[in-house]
Amino acid sequence: MTTATIEKPPAATAQPLAVSFPPPARTGPAKSASLLIGLDLGTNKSCVLAGPPGSTDITVSKVLPSVVGYVRDGIVDGIITGNARILYGEDALRQMLHVELVAPLAEGVISRPEAARDFMLHIRQLADPSGRADIRAVVGVPANAGEPARDGIRRSAQGIFSRILLIPEPFLAALGYRDDSRVKQPGYVDPVVNSLFVDIGGGTSDLCLVQGYFPTRDDQISIPFAGDAIDELLFGELGRTYPNNGLSRITVREIKEAHSYVGPSRKPLDIKVVIGGKSRTLELGDTIGSACNTLIDRIYPALTALIATASSDSVVTLLQNIIITGGGSQIRGIDTVLQKRLADDGYESPKVRLAGQDFQRYVAIGALKAARAARENQWQVLLE
Amino acid sequence: MAEVLHRFDPPWIEVGRVYRRICFLRSEGLAREARRVEANEFAEAAARARGLAASEPEADSLLRGLMAEEEERVAGAIAFAEVLVPLLARRLSAHAPAPFPHAASPEPGTAAAGRAGGTRDVADFIDEMLAQERLASR
Repeated sequence: MTTATIEKPPAATAQPLAVSFPPPARTGPAKSASLLIGLDLGTNKSCVLAGPPGSTDITVSKVLPSVVGYVRDGIVDGIITGNARILYGEDALRQMLHVELVAPLAEGVISRPEAARDFMLHIRQLADPSGRADIRAVVGVPANAGEPARDGIRRSAQGIFSRILLIPEPFLAALGYRDDSRVKQPGYVDPVVNSLFVDIGGGTSDLCLVQGYFPTRDDQISIPFAGDAIDELLFGELGRTYPNNGLSRITVREIKEAHSYVGPSRKPLDIKVVIGGKSRTLELGDTIGSACNTLIDRIYPALTALIATASSDSVVTLLQNIIITGGGSQIRGIDTVLQKRLADDGYESPKVRLAGQDFQRYVAIGALKAARAARENQWQVLLE
Repeated sequence: MAEVLHRFDPPWIEVGRVYRRICFLRSEGLAREARRVEANEFAEAAARARGLAASEPEADSLLRGLMAEEEERVAGAIAFAEVLVPLLARRLSAHAPAPFPHAASPEPGTAAAGRAGGTRDVADFIDEMLAQERLASR
């Protein structure tokens, strides 16, 4: 078994970005309020939850596309609402003809630092429109993300959040998925005590064994094959099957999100698209199935590798608690196909289930829970 | 004399480094991780180092001495930190802003008690994560 580690080229720096002890005295006006943020910074979609400390209130809950749109020069006044120079999320996508769209992340890590910083500023503005709150954020990172990837997040948050804590996303998903009101109920299997989470995002598919202690490196596997990779396979195959189809990557992603499935071929799968202004019907059953089934072939070995590391005392219960979350949980049949494959390979009564309708929010929910529980000495101060 | 000289051979230095990590893991209550490192990295490093010794008894003696040294070193470092960190914290907190509205920090040792007692809170998991990060950065 190999562990894929997400890395980006190290940035040259002479100063540490964060320290973990009480900060020096600050000058300037005191902040008027305190706020906690749980942030799932996804390659394609991010989720931000915010709320005051010492409370269970959630004042902000938003899922938004991880994209920044820089308005092109020469756009006539009034075309862009408020004549804004930078747009974010859905606003950027809606105005894609008038902006340069930049994705701050690739394969789960920050690849465009300036856009990432602008995006973080937007996140802050969403959580605290007044701009005056002292904000601390727990941010999810891909499983086994290397130090350069973590530094990228810290840099993007410098001067925006006063404290930060980076926690692997699959663990946060387990924490977010946990129903805190049922933890002490007999018969309730706490996902943080014995489960295997499979978080299939846009850039990475992260698997994590969560068994009552914080997962070590060996308990986590991050595979740089997920939603975006399926899009690329689909885009390439469409180009071969229907040359010069003119379909954009965004349209291909929309086709995938509407029709993705795994398992045996589901033909015919007729999909109406508009090419060159004319409506066309494309049969894409095998194309979509083949691209999505590649994901299963990549995930399954990692799944069985993690199952193999579980103790014999825990593995039977573990097999009943395999949970798929993230955008990939929306692929039709992914739970039944993985479950059947495990059963066919002799695993004892496996049960694979989907995280459910909140699949986009579990990492951020877990992050906010972690922010509310973190002790003072666990936060990292972001040096400005 | 030969034993003393062998202690500075890279394979033995590696053995010392890995055993130091095991000692820290045990001191942090991460027994499972400590056993894993002992069974894998430490066993491999010790096997490589033992190959350098002139005899089995010499290898055993070197290993025993090295392990005792590292245990003492780690215990001393922890004791030093236990004295120094509160002192530093007191001095630095004199310059700190008003505390963030938050639950009070628990007494030392409650993380371990939580683990032993069954129900653990999220802060205990975060403690474990930070301990892993500190060890990985050494």
